[in-house]
This record gives sequence, C-alpha cells and structure tokens, in this order.
Amino acid sequence: MARVETFYEVLRRHGVSRRSFVQFCSLTAASLGLKPAFAEELAQAMQVKPRIPVLWLHGLECTCCSESFIRSAHPLAKDVVLSLISLDYDDTIMAAAGEQAEQCLEDVRREYKGKYLLCVEGNAPLADDGVYCITGGRPFVEQLKDYAADAMAVVSWGSCASWGCVQAAKPNPTHAVPVHEIVRDKPVIKVPGCPPIAEVMTGVISYILTFDRLPELDRQGRPKMFYGQRIHDKCYRRGHFDAGQFVEAWDDDGARQGWCLYKLGCRGPTTYNACSTVRWNDGVSFPIQSGHGCIGCSEKDFWDNGPFYERLANVNLFGAEANADGWAKGAAAVVGAGMAVHAGISAVVRLRDKERHDTHLPPKGGTP
Amino acid sequence: MATDTVKLPERPHEHAMDAVGTEPVRPVMSFYVYEWPVRIWHWLTALLVVALSLTGYFIASPPASVAGDTSALFTFGQIREWHFIAAWLLTIGVVFRAYWAVVGGEHARLIYYVPFWSKQWWSDVFLVVKWYLFLNKGEKWVGHNPLARASMFGMFTLGSLAMVVTGFGLYAEQAGVDSWLRGAFGWTLSLFGSSMALRTWHHAGMYLLLAFSAIHLYAAVRDDIMGRVSTVSSMISGWRTFRDFHDE
Amino acid sequence: MSTTTPNGFTLDGAGRRVVVDPITRIEGHLRIEVNVDEKNVIRNAVSTGTMWRGLEVILKGRDPRDAWAFTERICGVCTGVHALASVRSVEDALGVTIPAQANTIRNILSLALYVQDHLVHFYHLHALDWVDVVSGLKADPKATSELAQTVSPRWPKSSPGYFKDLQTRLKKFVDSGQLGPFRNGYWGHPAYKLPPEANLMATAHYLEALDFQKEIVKIQTVFGGKNPHPNWLVGGVPCSLSIDGAGGVGAINMERLNLVTSIIDQSVDFIEQVYIPDLLAVASFYKDWASLGGGLASKSLLSYGEFPQIAGDDSNKSLLLPRGAIIDGKLSELHEVDLKAQDQVQEFVTHSWFKYADETKGLHPFDGVTEPHFAVGPNTKGDPKKKLEAIDESAKYSWVKAPRWKGHAMEVGPLARMVIAYMAGNTQVKELVDGALKKLDVPITALFSTLGRTAARGLECQWAAHQLRAEHHKLIAGLKAGDSSTANVEKWDPKHWPKKCQGVGYMEAPRGALGHWIVIEDGKIQSYQAVVPTTWNGSPRDAAGKIGAYEASLLDTPMADPKQPLEILRTIHSFDPCLACAAHVVGPDDEEVTRVTVT
Repeated sequence: MARVETFYEVLRRHGVSRRSFVQFCSLTAASLGLKPAFAEELAQAMQVKPRIPVLWLHGLECTCCSESFIRSAHPLAKDVVLSLISLDYDDTIMAAAGEQAEQCLEDVRREYKGKYLLCVEGNAPLADDGVYCITGGRPFVEQLKDYAADAMAVVSWGSCASWGCVQAAKPNPTHAVPVHEIVRDKPVIKVPGCPPIAEVMTGVISYILTFDRLPELDRQGRPKMFYGQRIHDKCYRRGHFDAGQFVEAWDDDGARQGWCLYKLGCRGPTTYNACSTVRWNDGVSFPIQSGHGCIGCSEKDFWDNGPFYERLANVNLFGAEANADGWAKGAAAVVGAGMAVHAGISAVVRLRDKERHDTHLPPKGGTP
Repeated sequence: MATDTVKLPERPHEHAMDAVGTEPVRPVMSFYVYEWPVRIWHWLTALLVVALSLTGYFIASPPASVAGDTSALFTFGQIREWHFIAAWLLTIGVVFRAYWAVVGGEHARLIYYVPFWSKQWWSDVFLVVKWYLFLNKGEKWVGHNPLARASMFGMFTLGSLAMVVTGFGLYAEQAGVDSWLRGAFGWTLSLFGSSMALRTWHHAGMYLLLAFSAIHLYAAVRDDIMGRVSTVSSMISGWRTFRDFHDE
Repeated sequence: MSTTTPNGFTLDGAGRRVVVDPITRIEGHLRIEVNVDEKNVIRNAVSTGTMWRGLEVILKGRDPRDAWAFTERICGVCTGVHALASVRSVEDALGVTIPAQANTIRNILSLALYVQDHLVHFYHLHALDWVDVVSGLKADPKATSELAQTVSPRWPKSSPGYFKDLQTRLKKFVDSGQLGPFRNGYWGHPAYKLPPEANLMATAHYLEALDFQKEIVKIQTVFGGKNPHPNWLVGGVPCSLSIDGAGGVGAINMERLNLVTSIIDQSVDFIEQVYIPDLLAVASFYKDWASLGGGLASKSLLSYGEFPQIAGDDSNKSLLLPRGAIIDGKLSELHEVDLKAQDQVQEFVTHSWFKYADETKGLHPFDGVTEPHFAVGPNTKGDPKKKLEAIDESAKYSWVKAPRWKGHAMEVGPLARMVIAYMAGNTQVKELVDGALKKLDVPITALFSTLGRTAARGLECQWAAHQLRAEHHKLIAGLKAGDSSTANVEKWDPKHWPKKCQGVGYMEAPRGALGHWIVIEDGKIQSYQAVVPTTWNGSPRDAAGKIGAYEASLLDTPMADPKQPLEILRTIHSFDPCLACAAHVVGPDDEEVTRVTVT
C-alpha cells in the first residue's frame, strides 16, 4: 500500500502556499462556526492527516445529493474530491464502470478495512428481496450491508438515506428504509435535506477529517452544528412573523415586501436545517428568500405532513383524509348532534317521569 | 378492597333548611366532595383551556395581517406569548392538582386512575351506560359516576398531561438544542418523528380537550336536572346535594 | 442465427456475452449486456434499468398543487424539469394561464439548467470516455499552452506555467496511488486517441468546469431559492418582482437581476471559450465516431418543443424549439405531435417488469397502469436476488417501460431537438450546426452518431446560453413596461376547480421529451403518469420486438477489448442517461401494488 499523503502535502503539491493554506484553514474554521483558535488546530491537523478513503454508494435516489455536493463553494468540491478525501468509489463520477468499478469497492474494503468512510446516497428497498434496486447484478441492500460492515462510520446523505424521503412516502410501495434501519452496528451520521446544503455536506466531511472525530449529534443523529436550530429561529423574515405580517396570497403586496410565508404553509418553524444561516449555493438565497415557503425537506416524513400550502398537516383516519380542523368540524357535528338528540330525549323522559317522582334510592358513595 | 377507593362519607351532612320555620323541615342529603383547592383549580383550568384554545387556534390559523411598522408591531408574537403564559399556568395547575390527589381528600384521587380490573366497576359502568341510554332510573354517585370518572381520566387527566408534554416539546424547540427544556422534552420530537407531526397532534389534542369540555358541560347540566343532584353549584360550594333525599 | 427487428436492426445473440453493471457516470442504475462476435463487434444489446421507486402510487390522492415537489424528486440532476412538466399539467387541467413574466422566469430557470447540465455532462460524465487523464502526464506544457491558445485564444488560463503546475500536481496525485475517482479507469486503452497535450488541456478544463458549473445554477437559486430542487408554483412562479419601494429587498430586485446578468455573461464566455473549442478539438480526433452509435438517430426523432414565448401557448408559433416527430428517416417530413391523442404516445410493458391485462397492446398515459411484476426469463443466468450473471431479454428484463410514438421507437434529446429545429428552419440552430459541421469537415449525416449526439448537446448549450440572455432581457423589458405580475391565483383555491379534469404537461428536459399526464378528481390526484426521456431512449423491446435507442445505438460497434467496455460507455453516455427518471412512475390504476413473483 502506497504511503498515504496528508492533506497538507496534497495542497502543497497542488501549488498551494503555506500562507494560503493557513488562510484556507481560517476560512474553514469560520465556516464551521468555530473560534479562530481552531484555525491553528485545523492547520495542524491537516498537515498530518492522511486522505481518507471514501466509498459513496447510491441506492434509490435522484442524485440531488451528489449534485448538491459538487456545488460546494468552501471548500470547493474539486478540493474535497482530489485533496481532502480519496473518493475511491462513486458511480456518479468515477471513470471505471462494470467490473472495474466493482473492483474498486473490493480493493478499498480489503486495503482499508475499518478505516474508510461509507457515504450513502439514497436508500434500500426491502420489498420482494430488494429487486427494486439492483446494482452490479445484486440487490442494493446487500451491497450496503457488505460495505457498511467494514466501514469506520457511515454518512447518510440526504433525506433518502436519513429518513426514507419520497420513495418512502405513503404507501412506500418498495418498502424503502433509511440506512440506520439496516446498519445498526456502526455510527451513522444523518445529513438530511432534499438535498442537504452543499457546504453542510463538505462541512461534515471536513469536520471529521480535521478534528479526527465524528461531529456531535442530536437525538435524531444529525450534527448539532447544522441541524440544531430551526430555519424559523434564524429566518430573516422572523420579524414579520412576530409582527403578524403574512403573505396572504401569492404575489400580493406582502409577498413583494418579503413578509412571512407562514400562512402559505411555510415549514420553517418545524424544520431543522441551516438554510436561513448558511443559505444555498454559496449563500445566494434560500427558499423563503425567493418567495416560497420551506417544505421541510430535511424533516422525517415531510412528504406525509402535507399539503405543503396548508398550515395543518392532513391526517388519514378511517380511510378519509382531512387536517385536524377538518376532523374537528366533523367531530363537533357528531358530538353536537349526539348531545342535542340526547338532550331532547332526556327532556321527554323527564317530563314523563315527573309525575311518578319516586326515587328513594340511597346514593352510592362513588363506589367504583 | 382496592376498588373501594371512595367510601361513603362518614356522616352525611344535613342541611337545615328550616331557617325561617314556615316550611316543614326538609333535610337534604349532602356530601362535601370538592375541597376548595380543587374548586379553584377547576375554574382556573376551565379559563385556561379557553384561553389556550383560542390562542392556539390563532397560532395555527393567524388572524389577518396587520399593516404598519414591522419593528413596532408584536401582534402575532403577543398571541403566542399569551399562549405560553397560559400554558405555564395550566402546567402549574396540573402539577398542583396531582399533588392534591396525594394529599387531598379521597375524591381528589378519583380522576387519577380507573379500576378497570374491578368487576364491580365494570358493572357500575354498565349501569351508567344504561342510564344514559334511558334504560334505567340511574344510581346516585357522590363523586363522579364511573363512566364520568373514566372519561375524566382518559380525556382530561391524560389529555391535559399530553398537551402539557407535547406543548413543552414544542416550547423546547425555541429554547435550543442544548437547553434543559429540550433535554426534558426533546424526546417528544423523536416520538412523533418530526416537529410538524408533533404540532399536528398537539393541535388535535386541543380538539380532544374541547370535545371533553363540551360533553362534560352537557353531562353536568343534565345530571343536575335529570339526576336531581347538584353539579355546577357543587363545584362552587364544594357540596354535592341529592335533592331527592329528604326525610318524609 | 440472427433476427431482424421490425424497426430494421439485426440482432445476433450467438456470440460472447459482455456485461457492464453498473454503468457509471450516469444518474441512477443501469445495466448493459451485449453479445460480441468473434471480431468483438457488438451484435446484440440489452439495456436494463435496475431501479423503480413507485412515485405514481405515492402521488395518488395528494394535492395536485404539491405534485411538482414530488415529481421534481424523480431527478436531481435535471432538477426542475419534472416540476415544470407537473405544474404545466395541473395548469392545463384547471385551465390556468400564467402571467407573461412568470413564463419568462420559467424559461430562465430551464435554460440555466440546460447550460449547467450539458456542461456537467460533457466534462464530468462524458469526457473521461475520450480523455486519458493519465496520458496528460506525458504532455509538453508549452505545447499544451500553444494548443490551448489556438483553440480558445481569449481564455486566460492557458500559460505554459498553468499547465506545468497542473501536470506536476497530477503526477503527484497519480504517484500517491490514491486515484480516487480515476481509480481503475481505462487509462492507456487503445481507443483513446487524443495526444497528451489535448488530454492535459481537457483535464484542466474538467477541473475548471467543476468549479464553474456551480455558478450557473445560482440563477435557479435566485428565482427558486435553492439548487438542486428549486421551488415552483402552480399558476406562475413563487418569487415576486419588486424593483421599487420598500419591498425591493424582499423580492427580485436590481441586485438580483444584476447577479443573473453577471452569471449569464460568464456562462456565455465559458461555453464559447472552453466548452465548444474543447468539443471541436476532441471531435476532430474521433471522427470515426461520427459513423458509429447512430441507432435510431437517423430514423426516428421526437421533440415536444420548449421555451414558449407566449404564456400558455404550446403551438409551434410560440415554441422556440419546435414540437414534432421524424419517422422512417424522412427528415424533411415533420409530423405533428399531440400528447392527448390516444394513438400517439403509448407505453408497452411486454419486456418490462410491469403487468398489463393485455401486454400485446400499449396504453396511452391517461389510461396507463403501473403494476410492478418482477419476473425473469428461463434463460437468465444467476439469481437477480443474489448475483445476476446474464439477463434473458426474451422475457421481461427492465424496470423501464417501452414508450412508442404511433408505434415507433423514438430517440429524444438534444440531437432530436437540434435536428427537428434545423429541419423546421430555425436560423440560429441552422447556423450553429452548419458552422460546427464545416469546422469538422463532416457531412450532415455525421450528426446521427455518438459524436453527433455529443456535439448536438454542446451546440444546444451554446444556443441556450444566448437564449438565456435574451429571456433575461425580456424579463427586464417587461419590468420596464411595468409588468411585475408573477402568479395567477384565480384558481389557487380548490373550490374553484371542476369536479374532474385532466391535463398534460410537456417539457423538453436536457435529456429529451418529457410529459406528465394528470387526472384530478375532487381536488385530489386521481392518476398521474410521466413518460420521461430515458424511458424513450433506454426503452426495452416492445410487443413487436422493436428495440429502443440505447440498444440500437450499440449495434455494430467494434470493441477493442470487451473486458474494457470503453466503447459501450461512449455511446451510452452520449445519451446522458437518467435512470431515476426512467423507472419511476405513475398509474391511474386503482389497484394496489401487487406482490412480485420470480418465475
């Protein structure tokens, strides 16, 4: 096995000066929300760290995670792929195909047993022994199990791998399940979103390499640093929310003034993600800034918490569907009618009984 | 026996109704059922449920937008703040009431469990159901009748607890991921899967409590008339009076 | 023993079977099997889509206004195309006309995708089929610089030092033994024809393009809030335009418009200074590929047309790229395409893992059925649930359905669009195509090939970048004239909807013709069906045995070494496959998904 280059060596080899290297480290530290002192630690770490082999598998997905990944501005996707990690398998960009591609998987597993990072985009359908996603001639679920077994840790890219996403929306015809329901004996870092923000993806990867540990996760297994707050908590339109200034209809005056999209179903208040702070595509915008409410794409089961343009999610009961207010109207009608009928009968019974008023039973002392 | 959690009061209190003396003495059988802390708690809770439902409804379906200087306005924030204040008060009430169930009178414990293992209880429930279906003349119960007790327990005691817990789950979201509130209630997010689902069920819980309140109100008024037993006034005076019992 | 298909291709499955699975550098999961004769020439080809997600079943019963978000997730590479087809289908069903400015913004969103997607395809999905990265190590940096300055005189990154530096880094990278995405590539394969200098230059541009592509999509971010998967809206676009007053900072304002202008300028530059010169340079070394990989291209082409200039008008007087079909190789005869006509677009499942009551017939998407039925034929080698060795194409063999236009297997994509526009007399397209053919000194028939497909994509990218600028100017002109409406909300509320209605949404995705068919009943989706570009191109055989575009294009291609399937990759990649799109979708059927059986 060839000696593994450190990140610093790679950068130097790429013609990056010591000075720019230190600058890069400060920027990365800043983008991770870390104190300036960490920049030094980062610089130190990168000079001695080898490039970590990464296998990036694809299950049932739409490749939006890969597409997002290559949008990363800091660090550039190019630098991550060529300098930070050794992306030894990723069927979306790798040169080799067929047997030669499969060989890469095998080789890395053998050479770097327990030392490689397994990134998973998409998820595995379990119905009918996994025939809904076959790769290399066998069900994807088998590939996932195989390569997770020898991995150091697993990164679940996007909502597919983290929660199931669109193919797992009701009725989930292929029985697609998220990665952590298949890989149970390895640390799994969920990086949800459809897709996740590019700089969040590269931020998670560089955190692991820089600090030599997995990021701190919340109860749901997401890195706290990016998923610890709701979009709403840092939304620039929050002032309009508190004021009670809402967009009432598309392209109304409120919309043109950038009022709060709450009434049009914005899921910002229920969505944990960094969109309102990191923003998208090098900070250009994020959904709310461009006039559409958040649809909650980094949340579990967000597809089944629609309709997206309603504040209240539909709930399916007894084969019918309505939101809580709808069900309440129905229930109120039933309960109200029931009470009215019961009251009517009660009145009749009471009038009838009034004459023969003969109750002399002793009270039961609340004996149950 | 465990099922006999509430016994007959030791001495039925006899109201002397002969104050003026022109009428024959008609003693009425009365029992002291609701201690004063329970009564205060009851009416406070009723008030808070109304306040929480109103503000809660508006949080889900905000009123029309307000024009004006954004930085000077806090309309929606105000609605939410009232909701939070009312929620804290309700929570204090829930905690206090549970405490009172332990230290208070025997009736105070009734709505904290249901003796579903007791045959007697089931047959009593059956009697009450028949009464509500006009199939018998009904029995007299000093505390809640067994059916009422079950619905109080299921819909109110557990319902209000669920509302407090899910409510704090939502409240903890704004407190941040490392807050003690999140530590204490963050599990609700995992339980329901997402913040959105948690909201949905918290919202649905409001309707459950309102439905309970409506039925509760109806049954109380009806019992007052049909069962000839004081209900609404009992919750003011504390005394339950059976108007049909008097010495001839 | 060879057979001839009804669409005129000769198949012979007698020779050695070669399997390529996974096909990499595409979207999704695709398996290609071919039979080669004793001279290693491909005589039979089988294309198997190996994934299915069942979005059709999932969409049923949902709010039609949400459908765009679900269908957008069919594909994250050509992000937004399904969303656009979806909102158009709902608008068609409900009879909603969007505002002119919304139409322009939608065109801007789509054109930005064309530019970015074609660029990424060429450099990051396709280039390694033509460019031997490792050979660049042998290049003379000075000669490389001269080459670069000859092909793109105005591109600044072309000094000998620049290439020298790149080469040094490349050398160390290769020497490290950790080749990452270049690991196990076909380096040194005899089919690589570029001189080392061209390889080094292309490698430099591979990296530059990777940096630049992320800029182009910022246009989608401006109007749609994010990319991939920007936001759309039934009735218009969700972003508001506000260039005056206090609202200016809450909507699309002057700063946003300037950002878009600047990105468009950079895009036009990159495409004209880097992409097109590279394309022509590479093509000039691979002219033999101008006669390979044609398949259906010279016979049957289909385009639904795109970029309406009049909101809500999808006739050819409104569409910049025309709608039409070419069949039987009669280029001058452009057939009218009607997406609602029962006898035009139909899908067959005879060889697909789905079940129809009568599989000899195709079904129009409004009547489509999607009932998965996994079963492999008796001659299958290996077990698909453990390890599939070779598929049996005489039975069902793909998760992709077989769509046909009036019974014809069709090729869709940039080549189809460019040829149809050319034949319809689009002067801009004519100029671009003629210019490229002249520079390469090849006849027009060279278009019907692997190289032609790749070239058409590049030319379309260039056209799209200029058109993007034109649409942006139109947006600004509209604002100047006081038009800032972006949404028609008259029918937003479902209480204004008819009890039952149905509609079609068309879209020319970067990969080709895309259609969504929706039936709405009581405010909910009663049925949804999408027929997508890769369903057309990656189609398996139909009831009559007609083969699809992938299979047809691979035939008669000689392979240098069947163990190193570079030639297969070249042709398949020239289509830019997208399997998540192809194998998805939607039936108006009331049936539940049935159990899958393996026979």
